[in-house]
Amino acid sequence: MSATAPRAARAATGGLPGETGAADTAVAPRADCVADRAGGITFTVTGPGGTGPARLLLRLRGGERETGLPLTPDGAGRLRGVLPAGAELAEGRWDVHLQRADGAARRLVAGLQDLRALVDRVPADSRAPVAVRLPYTTKYGNLTVRSWLRAPHAEAGELRVGARELGVRGRVYGTSLTPDAYVEAADRAGVAPAARTGLDADGDVFRCAVPLGSPAPGIRDLWLRPAGEAGPRVRIARLLDDVADKKHIFAYPKVTLGTAHGAVLAGPYYTADNDLSIVVVAAG
Amino acid sequence: MHISFLIHNAYGIGGTIRTTYNLAEALAEQHDVEIVSVFRHREAPVFTPGPRVGMRHLVDLRPDGADSDHPELALPARVFPSADGRHKQYNALSDRRIAEYLATVDADVVVGTRPGLNVHLARQTRPGPVRVGQEHLTLDNHSTALRTTLRDAYPRLDALTTTTEADARSYRRSVRLPGVRVLAVPNPVPAPVIPPADGSGKWVVAVGRLAPVKRFDLLVRAFDKVRAQRPDWRLRIYGGGGQKGRLRSLIDEMGLYNHVYLMGPVHPIEQEWVKGAVAVATSSMESFGMTLVEAMRCGLPVVSTDCPHGPGEIIDDGVDGRLVEVNDVGAIAAGLLELIDDDALRQRMAHAALRASERFDPPRIAERHESLFAAVAARRGRRLGGRLRGTLHRTRGALLVGAYAVRDARRQAVGKGRSA
Repeated sequence: MSATAPRAARAATGGLPGETGAADTAVAPRADCVADRAGGITFTVTGPGGTGPARLLLRLRGGERETGLPLTPDGAGRLRGVLPAGAELAEGRWDVHLQRADGAARRLVAGLQDLRALVDRVPADSRAPVAVRLPYTTKYGNLTVRSWLRAPHAEAGELRVGARELGVRGRVYGTSLTPDAYVEAADRAGVAPAARTGLDADGDVFRCAVPLGSPAPGIRDLWLRPAGEAGPRVRIARLLDDVADKKHIFAYPKVTLGTAHGAVLAGPYYTADNDLSIVVVAAG
Repeated sequence: MHISFLIHNAYGIGGTIRTTYNLAEALAEQHDVEIVSVFRHREAPVFTPGPRVGMRHLVDLRPDGADSDHPELALPARVFPSADGRHKQYNALSDRRIAEYLATVDADVVVGTRPGLNVHLARQTRPGPVRVGQEHLTLDNHSTALRTTLRDAYPRLDALTTTTEADARSYRRSVRLPGVRVLAVPNPVPAPVIPPADGSGKWVVAVGRLAPVKRFDLLVRAFDKVRAQRPDWRLRIYGGGGQKGRLRSLIDEMGLYNHVYLMGPVHPIEQEWVKGAVAVATSSMESFGMTLVEAMRCGLPVVSTDCPHGPGEIIDDGVDGRLVEVNDVGAIAAGLLELIDDDALRQRMAHAALRASERFDPPRIAERHESLFAAVAARRGRRLGGRLRGTLHRTRGALLVGAYAVRDARRQAVGKGRSA
């Protein structure tokens, strides 16, 4: 978790006059979000400070980058701003602030998040880059937008944990599957050589069965090579829905395998960035 | 009127807290309303009460709070009944502070929100205010010891509200409460602030603590049958709790990990309901069934087990949802498939659910409490002095002080006899 988050939480909840229990969250400015199917987000800001000139400020965590979005009164005492579907937002976590004309930026508390349009999202144009922006509530209650920008992209769908293999069904965006396509399981530590698995393609949809048990304990990141060795290397990930942090929700069983390295437990998982990997640990 | 709610801890999460906030907020449109929290353990409440509702606490348990080192915290509570499940959290300090609050409370109506607090209310409220106990659980699920305690104390309440007719019948049938109005008033549930579900997705949604009583294990098994026929539909279960590990294992054993997801707790929940097309509840018991109403207010028809006490009073079977046999995996699956397989039926029920659930709108529920408060005050006035008619606002206290004093002297005498 970023070191800035606790500070932001204190700013949102501390230093308030009075002693009415409700004040803390009631006084901090709050943003509701509505996501649209194309990838745009509409923010509605409520809170103190009136309706003077203000803008939304999105700051990329761990970087210098900022993006400002104009805010306009919505006629009901709130401010409205739009992150258009076409706006480029580098991959990462963008903390959302409210910046008034006269003052410093203030972290926004997360309000309602209407993300229904993102559930089971299928991008209209399978050739275009995949841009995903998911508003989410940090563990301190603040609003952050998680952004992914991938071209090309390999979206993971159903997984099947077999006795010795992981079945993966997926779909490519922004590229095509050629007869040379394969899936690569790369040792994250860079020690073991990458293992190749062939795939079945049907248009943009692919299926493959990645062996779970042969490598030594460690983490294997799964990559798609849609045009074989010569072409791009595309991380397999699950991005096209409303779940910002997949790891604990898209959870899968592990299988016990006897290998040359002894008994291991192996199974798929989604990383902190929602990329698909296989973890292999010594059993017992 | 001035209405004072006494609650265990207004700073936590739970059905009683949400309900009390919603009711207090609706009553605050017309009345002075405060929520008095026996305990306070954090700075800000999880739910935000409206600006019109006053909030205060009696015992400050915040780490640097005024009472954090108070010696009386270590002494057991004597007034708060030992049969109430939260007895261990109460102590000599809470006993004293609650007694002080009730001896001085400047309100026309005092409302208790759990059995132990209702007992305090019955025994210690100063002469004057109308004493209303609220039952948010059910009589049937209280221990014998607690029922005995309530039988002793509740006759000194003016009114007792339950959340279901079923529970009100239990009280009327098995507790002698002469002169106490026993009335069922369902919990208020506000309309969601986002548009209702359009029902276009293929998701079933369940919400609740991952506790044994919710029987999510049955739901997971039922969904295995649903999946066999409709693999395009999936299930999300929102909530946290002790059963999580067991449910995870069950999902994995049954190979349902592409169809059933444990989503964890989410607040506010309405943003999750609207992603679904059908709601489901498989409890073996629901004191009320707030999640059923929440789902309906978000435009989802609910398939629920017909368990005691609430679901049968919330769902009109076959009209705005489906009631199915308790503890029956096949019946749950059949109920879900009936709605999944018939788009027109599902849409019809969704519309009916939206309309029917308007009856839980906070202003409507608040009105029922208001009428109860007024009726109880008026009845007391009539019986004791015959001078009270209709309005009870400002004049009532002055008119009835003498009459209350008589009645309360008797109460205190009884109370002394019992507590000795």
